[in-house]
Amino acid sequence: MARIRGKAKKAEIMTLEEAVKKYMHNGIQIAFSGFTGFNRNPMAFAWEVVRQKFKDMHVIDRHGSCCTWLLNTVGAIKIYETDWMGWGEMAGKLDINMERIYKAGKMILEDYSHGSMAMRFLAGAIGAPFIPYYAPLGSDLYNPDYDALGKAGLRNGKNPRIAKKKFIQIEEPFFGDGEVVLLPAARPELAVIHVSQVGDKGTARWRGVGTIDKEIAFACDKVVITAEEIVPEAEMRKDPEANQIPFFTVDAIVEVPWGAFPSGVPFYYDYDAPFMREMDKASRNVEDLKKWLDEWVFGPPNWEEFIVKLGAKKLLSLKADSTTGYSTKMMRGKNPAPRMKMPLSVARSGY
Amino acid sequence: MAKTMEELMELIDKMPDEKAKAGEFILPELMAIAIAHEVLNDDVVFAGTGLPMVGIMAANMLNAPNAVLIYESGICDGKTMHVPMSVSDQRAANMCSTLGGLVDTFGYYLQQGFVTLGFLGGAAIDKYGGVNVTSIGDYYAPVHRFTGSGGNSDIGTMAKRTAFIILQEKRRFLERNDYTTTPGWWCWDFKTREWKPKKEVWKGTPYADCGPCGVVTNMGVYRFDEKGIIYLETCHPGVTVEKIKENCGFDLNVSKVKGETPIPTYKELFVLREFVDPELIFLPAKTEYPAAIKSIIG
Repeated sequence: MARIRGKAKKAEIMTLEEAVKKYMHNGIQIAFSGFTGFNRNPMAFAWEVVRQKFKDMHVIDRHGSCCTWLLNTVGAIKIYETDWMGWGEMAGKLDINMERIYKAGKMILEDYSHGSMAMRFLAGAIGAPFIPYYAPLGSDLYNPDYDALGKAGLRNGKNPRIAKKKFIQIEEPFFGDGEVVLLPAARPELAVIHVSQVGDKGTARWRGVGTIDKEIAFACDKVVITAEEIVPEAEMRKDPEANQIPFFTVDAIVEVPWGAFPSGVPFYYDYDAPFMREMDKASRNVEDLKKWLDEWVFGPPNWEEFIVKLGAKKLLSLKADSTTGYSTKMMRGKNPAPRMKMPLSVARSGY
Repeated sequence: MAKTMEELMELIDKMPDEKAKAGEFILPELMAIAIAHEVLNDDVVFAGTGLPMVGIMAANMLNAPNAVLIYESGICDGKTMHVPMSVSDQRAANMCSTLGGLVDTFGYYLQQGFVTLGFLGGAAIDKYGGVNVTSIGDYYAPVHRFTGSGGNSDIGTMAKRTAFIILQEKRRFLERNDYTTTPGWWCWDFKTREWKPKKEVWKGTPYADCGPCGVVTNMGVYRFDEKGIIYLETCHPGVTVEKIKENCGFDLNVSKVKGETPIPTYKELFVLREFVDPELIFLPAKTEYPAAIKSIIG
């Protein structure tokens, strides 16, 4: 919903602990930045949320990530409105805890598709109440019988962040272009977005894919930016076309280097697939998971110590090349990455 | 001494175009090349993570060098040097044309009609090419809960044609899916509660003729007839029609079988192993090169 404001927001620089304490509450509707478990997950924030023991969250997002994986390990998510409940793609596809919690009837899952979630956030971002989208007509996603929030009685209009309908199918009224689906805007309370750089006034930038992070920043009431580095705002103004998030959407700024680990931040560090595989492995057994949480979440006194615990050798292997934006030093498979100068298709056939 | 990538690049055209022999390649290599053969040089391809990504990268390096690769996290025409593990991997964004987000890929590219070929996975498929990546059993109390749509249902219904890669098992090749995530050539019309051809449900939209064009499994390659029903086109080497029928949950049309799925050539194998996935992330192991390739590498 458009939120008519009387004055510009003023972003406040704070610590991770302070930001979680100030902006989180039980039952919050929240969206995280990035793409699956691989790219710019605000993991440090989710890590601190688990440590501060917030519960009953309503995550509304384009897909699962390292953040949702971690929150599910302690059952912190009550409603999960998304389109892909996996998290690690090739490093651990389905979230085992999510499946366990869901099958035990302790979580509501609402299914959409990738494109439709992107459109819902776009609508939320531009202050539109809904948006038409074609795909996928005839899919059980738009089967009127399959509406998890409706079945749970939550589409009764009492929660202003839950739409009164999952979707509406109509005959396209302007051009006669067949049937089309209207999707409700996504309008969560809090966006947590991890970026590479943020100016000390709040202007933020990432490199690499944008996923729907700009849309999230505008769709949510409040925005917490976690960043690899805070730089003078003047630096951000030298190359403004590289910035994606204007400062006046931002409420809080947190500097948290390696704050997206084990996902990657292009041109800073790569994802750690072996670490994600270990997470996946631990989640398959209650005892192993408890050990993992004790070691990696409740063990280190703060995020900095979490990163120190990873060891310099690990961090060196993950450090991104300044030219490619990813690491060619780390082992992802059975062999090291080859030393390439040019993509084969370009070398042989141009563009 | 190991050859540099430049030296290996020069050897590509010296590799014979003749087909490798049984035992000289592994099944994932055959499947990756079968995927590559689906890609045309003027295609705009939107592919999912995993073997589809390996296959379209192979296509980009072999038969379709100018095919445009779209990755759903926001990448337009990525020119990869190292195989990505995710569609948001920075490796997929290498030397791309533009870099945006999901609104770009699903809105500007896909819904706008630019995507000519989708390449996706699936947990189960029905005889009309409808795919389930959501759940088995009752939707609200599933026996198995999978990840859900992701981009599968968007790409599978709005790309001009879509190919799927699916593990062939009786419980995965079904008359009807428990849950249809991505409708095939027949689907529900939820307004009238009728099971209808997609062309009728999507009538009047620009996407009525978009849909599945092929399926690659670990046993064969499939197409769809004019009624939108799947049929077997080729069997992988060493797999009989009978074995495929045993691993299919409905009465499969095998009357149009054209023989064996094309075996990778030496050149294709060389490119796959040295340039597509030399790190061995998706291809499980590198078998020893056959003499035909060894003699050229020296």
